[in-house]
Amino acid sequence: MVLGLSLLTGQAVAQTQVYDPKTRSWVDYDRTKAYQYYRQHQQVPEPFRRQVVTFRTAEEPGTIIIDGNQHFLYLVQPGQQAIRYGIGVGREGFGWAGIVRVGRTAEWPRWTPPAEMVARDPNARKWAGGQPGGPDNPLGARALYLYEGDQDTIYRIHGTPEPWTMGLSVSSGCIRMVNDDIIDLHSRVKVGAKVIVLMQGAALYKGV
Amino acid sequence: MGRILRLLGPVALAMSLSAFAAMPGRTADLVIAMPNWSSGQATAHILKVAIDKQFGLEADAVEMGTLIAFAGLDSGKVDIHPEVWLPNLDNLVERYVTGAGSVAISPIGVPAWQGICATRNAADIYGIKDISDLSDPQKTAALDTDGDGRGEMWIGAQTWSSTGIERVRANSYGYAKQLTLLEMPEDVGMAAVDAAQATDKPLVFACYAPHAVFELHDIVRLTEPPYDPAKWNIVLPSDDPAWLSKSSATVAWDAAHYHIAYASSLRSRHPDLAAFLERVAFEPEEAIAMSYALQVERRDPQEFAEEWVSKNAERVEAWARP
Repeated sequence: MVLGLSLLTGQAVAQTQVYDPKTRSWVDYDRTKAYQYYRQHQQVPEPFRRQVVTFRTAEEPGTIIIDGNQHFLYLVQPGQQAIRYGIGVGREGFGWAGIVRVGRTAEWPRWTPPAEMVARDPNARKWAGGQPGGPDNPLGARALYLYEGDQDTIYRIHGTPEPWTMGLSVSSGCIRMVNDDIIDLHSRVKVGAKVIVLMQGAALYKGV
Repeated sequence: MGRILRLLGPVALAMSLSAFAAMPGRTADLVIAMPNWSSGQATAHILKVAIDKQFGLEADAVEMGTLIAFAGLDSGKVDIHPEVWLPNLDNLVERYVTGAGSVAISPIGVPAWQGICATRNAADIYGIKDISDLSDPQKTAALDTDGDGRGEMWIGAQTWSSTGIERVRANSYGYAKQLTLLEMPEDVGMAAVDAAQATDKPLVFACYAPHAVFELHDIVRLTEPPYDPAKWNIVLPSDDPAWLSKSSATVAWDAAHYHIAYASSLRSRHPDLAAFLERVAFEPEEAIAMSYALQVERRDPQEFAEEWVSKNAERVEAWARP
């Protein structure tokens, strides 16, 4: 069993499910369970931990494939394998699907809240001029900035100070990973890497 | 077939116009037009290697779009095209083969297929095996990925003509009521198949063969009523803005084949070569293997072709000297 039993007895209201390889079935997973689990184990459930998996694809090694529905990010490796990382995505999914690339990356990035967030959220207001990088910064340890051609899409893959949110759809649009994982991904990814965002999943697509 | 239908789109046409600008000076004896998809690239290189070996003629494989390739075959700038899909390109055949007579088509074609595919578990566990199963909401609920109770299904790239026809088919068969139809570039559609397979999730999607996906994954082709021209009424978007409501299709796609085309002038310039091109024959499984070798294993096309010709030396010899 990949999840503690205590995690599975709650009400089944979450959209996220976690795959249990023993029973070969999907079990529900929500924010409360996620927080409890993380407090108990100091890490996310097994499916959302970084691991090498069999991944047969025609995509080149170095390509990133994001499955917002199942909350996985794959980094394609040689030999029909991939490194799979757990991710958290926006409440509405990623809000976008298609093919982009890593335009630039940053270590301990500065975060500037969008104007509408500054307007409604007092916590964000104090960082209206930008919050310096650090352990409390919502972007976490690293950020990969996704570009379409030479244009910044405003979407990022980034770390987080809230590691228990892996596997959930709670952030506001971007793809978040635990800091250890985004550091690992950042060390392996080259600027220019192809990023495929799947359209399957919660509101992941536009113009469909 | 999807990829050839895609060539009819304005984007592909505009892109292909630059092909000749990038062509090297004509130092080689022959020019082979090379498509931008993997089986066509493999075939172009196999022809290149085989022609050198059998006839001592040097050929350049030059990437270009189909419309430009036909113009080149007509004008004498191109000698061979390895993959001309019919009936998709019937209009070009009418113009250059039947009409101008400047282009010849080999009578031998590789059979091709287009339709709807399912992952193995979608077929075996969720019972999606026939096109009619897509109209059963209890079965298609398993294909839901966004929690709205309706399944999702990729039907092709927005630029492909085949995508509009898949939308017509979904309406006509009725499964458009049960499924959200997704349009995205092919790489996104195929990566979704990869991700579904990696996590044992069921998936249904539009597909065509030969294609590397059949070598990459255990894929089931949904059965359908056979093609019947009386039940295939497709109005093209270019002909009528109301094409979608005026079209209907409740049968499988018509069978397609792809053929080698060559400049008719080869019959006088190199009659033995023209006869060779009319005998070259590949099996659909070989075409899938070629796609897989180039697209998935990332083999160098030239090296792959040399190995293929060496392994199939007797066959190649028989095409040249029966």
